[in-house]
Amino acid sequence: MDELLEVLGYKVRSSEMAEVAQKLEQLEMVLSNDDVGSTVLNDTVHYNPSDLSNWVETMLSELNNPESSDLDPTRICEDRSAFPKAEEGADEEASSKRIRLESVGSWGELTRPLVVVDSQETGVRLVHALVACAEAIQQQDLNLADALVKSVGTLAASQAGAMGKVATYFAQGLARRIYAADLSGGSSVGSSFEEALQMHFYESCPYLKFAHFTANQAILEAVTTARRVHVIDLGLNQGMQWPALMQALAVRPGGPPSFRLTGVGPPQTESSDSLQQLGWKLAQFAQAIGVEFEFKGLAAESLSDLEPEMFETRPESETLVVNSVFELHRLLNRSGSVEKLLTTVKTVKPRIVTTVEQEANHNGVVFLDRFNEALHYYSSLFDSLEDSYTLPSQDRVMSEVYLGRQIVNVVAAEGTDRVERHETLAQWKVRMGSVGFDPVPLGSSAFKQASMLLSVFAGGDGYRVEENDGCLMLGWQTRPLIATSAWKLAGA
Amino acid sequence: MAASDEVNLIDSKTVVPLNTWVLISTFKLSYNLLRRSDGTFNRHLAEYLDRKVTANANPEDGVFSFDVVIDRTTSLLSRVYRPAYASDQEGPVSVLDLEKPLDDEIVPVILFFHGGSFAHSSSNSKIYDTLCRRLVGACGGCVVVSVNYRRAPESPYPCAYDDGWTALNWVNSRTWLESKKDSKVRIFLAGDSSGGNIVHNVALKAGEAGIDVLGNVLLNPMFGGEERTESEKRLDGKYFVTVRDRDWYWKAFLPEGEDREHPACNPFGARAKSLRGLRFPKSLVVVAGLDLIQDWQLAYAEGLERAGKEVRLVHLEKATIGFYLLPNNTYFHSVMDEIAAFVNAES
Repeated sequence: MDELLEVLGYKVRSSEMAEVAQKLEQLEMVLSNDDVGSTVLNDTVHYNPSDLSNWVETMLSELNNPESSDLDPTRICEDRSAFPKAEEGADEEASSKRIRLESVGSWGELTRPLVVVDSQETGVRLVHALVACAEAIQQQDLNLADALVKSVGTLAASQAGAMGKVATYFAQGLARRIYAADLSGGSSVGSSFEEALQMHFYESCPYLKFAHFTANQAILEAVTTARRVHVIDLGLNQGMQWPALMQALAVRPGGPPSFRLTGVGPPQTESSDSLQQLGWKLAQFAQAIGVEFEFKGLAAESLSDLEPEMFETRPESETLVVNSVFELHRLLNRSGSVEKLLTTVKTVKPRIVTTVEQEANHNGVVFLDRFNEALHYYSSLFDSLEDSYTLPSQDRVMSEVYLGRQIVNVVAAEGTDRVERHETLAQWKVRMGSVGFDPVPLGSSAFKQASMLLSVFAGGDGYRVEENDGCLMLGWQTRPLIATSAWKLAGA
Repeated sequence: MAASDEVNLIDSKTVVPLNTWVLISTFKLSYNLLRRSDGTFNRHLAEYLDRKVTANANPEDGVFSFDVVIDRTTSLLSRVYRPAYASDQEGPVSVLDLEKPLDDEIVPVILFFHGGSFAHSSSNSKIYDTLCRRLVGACGGCVVVSVNYRRAPESPYPCAYDDGWTALNWVNSRTWLESKKDSKVRIFLAGDSSGGNIVHNVALKAGEAGIDVLGNVLLNPMFGGEERTESEKRLDGKYFVTVRDRDWYWKAFLPEGEDREHPACNPFGARAKSLRGLRFPKSLVVVAGLDLIQDWQLAYAEGLERAGKEVRLVHLEKATIGFYLLPNNTYFHSVMDEIAAFVNAES
């Protein structure tokens, strides 16, 4: 790769430079000849602008093969898959190896993105105490840590705004760690409570909505020609993602496909089968909008318990989608778990896999590093909640509880109890690549619609959508907080 | 298509390295897509295409950065770049140390305004993050504060200037940015393209308000006027830029109904206030010889001189726009040296 351009965000092989230049010239000539070209390209969906060669090539073929000006995602999907040409086979492997090596390198190098809100000048003492306490724990000086965590509590109580709240949760986590009490980190509360908390989180800020929305966009693009669609949701929760997808399918030109949903959830108690109830509700919704619908609930203690047969796939007739929102990182608590799940997913041959994960490195080996990372991450997150409302609401309060539980888990839990093992997109890319998945880029139309969605839902305008190497990230100010990516089987 | 257009393409290719040509042509292409003839701007596609990078408290090549929300009401953000505290710094700088007071007797603080003709780019655009990092290194250890000002056409004149003014006041009031020698913040204003224009206007305001600015650095600053100058006619479309696109950006930035004789566009035109007798810092004005608006930039330097202000004009004969984005040409290095000398001249 040309190093100088790579620093600026563009990946161009030095050997390709002249060819890329030529294509740019061609594009220039075509565009200067007619104004329509510019309009067409404005409406086109763009993918992965860092890959200059492909980006320019795609635009050229858009202009040279004028289709109707209506966006035809099918054709674009085909174009993309046409790109790994036969002679590039060996190259692809080499470059994917290169990517793997580079990512491992970046795994070791910490990027610590920090957004400081100026009004935090008064919170300095509080941050000081928090960090000092974490350091004391790292040095195993529990007496000092104990003294410090008490001062954090006092300071946090008198600190207004997001900083005070975040500090309180971190103090809770620190206290639990110091007293080695209940290192399950509070995970024993019960799944229905968790789900209820997530609902509040869903309502009060755009993160989950963004996750669902962008994953659905990728799904829609992947199933445009499918007559029967089967979605496996690895974390059904309250099923909030699916009504919107079903609605989009319902209004598809040519009529909706049939929609089968397999929702995975925690083991059900005998008195309630919430999975089935949810299935019923979704079935009623589907009927109301005229979509043929089938549902199955799959209860599993852990996603790594899933076996391919359980999904009862129908590969002859159905296009399969696997969806995971904030589920994969939980499997990092046991060696081999996530690989087992991903292999299971691979076995059922999905057309597309959509994943959404927190964009953070909360799974480092060193406690102090994890602590610092989490402190900054959740500070940004709480900050964004703060801005969305002028008055506290139940939704926001419960969202804070929802996030607070994550914080306590990151800080206090260890071993298999620690399930909030967030890792960055770069790390997930390595993992997905080594199991045998290739990235499917999310494009400019998903980006645009996600941006527009934000302006409708979110109160503050600090939310930012960013494209990063084919994936979409939602962040607060300049700090990315969650990342959506899409995958297909390598070579598919 | 006329043969002369083909000549144009070949022309620009002979004066810059191939990778520079690819980079600037890519911007030219994207920017063409974003500007609509009805004056609106495809902001979503612009944000999608812009390559961005987060701040990083973990020093890279001796420089670390962090973002600060300096005005919550307008979400005005700035990115601060500082030299690493120790050359063998391991791991990120702690959040408690981000605003550690400056250690040296004299440290220039450069308030930087990125370019983009008032419409494009952000302080977290990779091209500008990279440039700011290089500035810290080139100046032998200064602090750079890059302002994420509001852009046209959504936020036209005077938003960018207002944001610059807010940032200037913020920098001026940070005790941790004071040089040890006399507990003063040693502020320089710097910017390229529209950023250079903002520098001029913020400096004007600073002079009126009595805030000390030690120097202005203007890299290919964006100025204009109603007249079509000789350089505009001669170089139109030849080196990545056209008069037509310049007109579009002025229309997007200037108030409705205004023309390019507005003082924001033409600071030494008939409608502009004279600088004579006004407090105004010394200026370093860098003009690229293949930039079609150079006549306006040269007129700017002249105007400063006539008003009795100190100017150092650096006219780079065969430089095009954006030459400072890649360190693969001698102009890049000589300009970095010029800027370093300029900001370190104070004692």
